[in-house]
Amino acid sequence: MKNRIEEIRKERGVRQEEFAKALGVSRQTISSLENGRYNPSILLAYKIARYFEMAIEDVFCFDEEV
Amino acid sequence: MNYGKRIFLSIFWMLLGLTLMGCHLAGFMEEFWSSMGFALLVVGTLQVIRQIRYRTNEEYREKFDTEAKDERNRFIANKAWAWAGYWFVLIGGCATIVLKLLGREDLMMVASGGVCLMMLLYWGCWMYLRKKY
Repeated sequence: MKNRIEEIRKERGVRQEEFAKALGVSRQTISSLENGRYNPSILLAYKIARYFEMAIEDVFCFDEEV
Repeated sequence: MNYGKRIFLSIFWMLLGLTLMGCHLAGFMEEFWSSMGFALLVVGTLQVIRQIRYRTNEEYREKFDTEAKDERNRFIANKAWAWAGYWFVLIGGCATIVLKLLGREDLMMVASGGVCLMMLLYWGCWMYLRKKY
């Protein structure tokens, strides 16, 4: 699943450490999410969308090929 | 488990380790139990040090809690156990064949028994989890 986490985070000027702390996950998890190596659970996806005050589908893009 | 219970359990492991080592030195037990006692003593001591650090160092506590709750870490841990299980069965299966060809029936039985036990455990877990989820 593709996502726009890195793009949105950088737009808002949020550091990875700060973002990770707000979500209660490690910085490595944020890095893996941004690189597309790890797909989050629905709970974490919801937390991310809520942090950015956006809808989940605006942050994550479903890609059938992945 | 809260802090008190954790530290109590760690001290219990240390005391058990010391008792086993003491019993060996007094001649009541074999050396195997002394080695196990030493291992328990080391584990217990490390656990106590970790618990004290957790209690006194706020930065460490925050990092520890985050790492423990992190969903990617849990995912990796589950995946690692799954891979370890697959490899165990594969290596055990190959070892069974090789040992049979070499005529080592005793070791072959151990290897095949390990594979069978693993498969039974997998089947049991699968049946339980299928009902749970």
